[in-house]
Amino acid sequence: MEVTLKLNGEARTASVAPETTLLKLLRESFNLTGAKLGCDVGDCGACTVIVDGKTVNACLMLAAQAEGREVLTIEGLATREGLHPIQKAFEAHASLQCGFCGPGIILSAKALLDETPEPTVQEIRDALAGNLCRCTGYTKMIAAIEEAARELRAERADR
Amino acid sequence: MKAFEVVTAKDSRHALALLAEHGSAAKVLAGGTDLLADLKSAHDVPALIVDISRAEDLKGIAITDEGLHIGALVTHTEIMRSAVIRELFPALVDAAHTIGAVQTRNLGTLGGNLVTGVPSMDSGPTLVALEALVAIAGAGGRRRMPLAEFFTGPRRTALKPEELLLEILIPKKNLGKPASFLKFGLRKGQALALVNVAAGLWLKPGKDAFVEPRIALGAVAPTVIRAPQAEAYLEGRAATAEAMAEAGRIAAGEARPISDFRASAGYRRDLIAVLTRRALENACALARAAKERR
Repeated sequence: MEVTLKLNGEARTASVAPETTLLKLLRESFNLTGAKLGCDVGDCGACTVIVDGKTVNACLMLAAQAEGREVLTIEGLATREGLHPIQKAFEAHASLQCGFCGPGIILSAKALLDETPEPTVQEIRDALAGNLCRCTGYTKMIAAIEEAARELRAERADR
Repeated sequence: MKAFEVVTAKDSRHALALLAEHGSAAKVLAGGTDLLADLKSAHDVPALIVDISRAEDLKGIAITDEGLHIGALVTHTEIMRSAVIRELFPALVDAAHTIGAVQTRNLGTLGGNLVTGVPSMDSGPTLVALEALVAIAGAGGRRRMPLAEFFTGPRRTALKPEELLLEILIPKKNLGKPASFLKFGLRKGQALALVNVAAGLWLKPGKDAFVEPRIALGAVAPTVIRAPQAEAYLEGRAATAEAMAEAGRIAAGEARPISDFRASAGYRRDLIAVLTRRALENACALARAAKERR
């Protein structure tokens, strides 16, 4: 079947088998390998992407269900001007080690900050509950998200 | 995943027509958080997946003369954000919040959670305590039944292959009924309930006595169950700490918990007693606060 979606701001079409997941579509049809195949049953969050403003596990969505929707992957976050403030903060805080969970965590943080510009630590922890990181703790990620939230608020205030 | 066909249903009518045509060869896909996870490891997959995730007629939250209607496709996130539900039933918001994580709550639907029939589901107890009904459509028309009867066994419901769950209805008499949902899992995030409990009740004006107390227990029997003996014990009784503790003990005796790798049956019974007492206390506090506002 044909699937057309708005992927990182661009209209893209691919022909896939009906049982194809959104994750497989992203990785194999569009070569966007930022979303990772981890548990493949919706527990680990390594495949987290943003669909119409909301985070989902791309492994638990069929490609057909993304027809006509807007999908943001980690590849669509940075701009010509540079990394997104959340990505910068993760770099500055050395929040990631192996990095496998990183794309999912950063997109979960993005969806949180889009809706809650000034989250509490508890809200940040809640937003990351579906993203498993087994290298380290979450402390440096939480610090990075708090810093990115301050940065994004300042950017907004400047506008 | 093994190969299957996918048809996207425009609305519930279209979905029902597809189900009537294909019967048990078809399976309904709503949020997909359970179905797709299951299909990946399934030996046999259905020939046809009927994707209802775009059926807008199943996504409403509305109050009518009959009560509060929640469409089967309303997601857990939408329940958490609904102004109407937050106002009338904070317990439903709490229950939705304990399901999975943000990603699963964004996709997963209330109807989808209920049709799994999993005994530990977090959507069940509050709705059972509020005496919710489910509306089901099939080739022969529509029918309604109490949610408590919809659950027929572990992972089994009264839904037939060609039928579709349309909505959940909390009857008008229970609109705003003070209720509380509590869950005990082994972690704070993404945990299955060892025990989950909901209590709903009214307090008699001036007397502080229980009127129509309802207690529902999850994960401690083949289905979500009521605790009728504990409810009967409380009916008309003064809402004291002792009465609520006793109701908790009675409820623990009404359950049939199992021992497994997560917890022993004895531990689960202890949890029922404590969580039931606390849920009753929380619901009483809500009832008293509501009275003061008036």
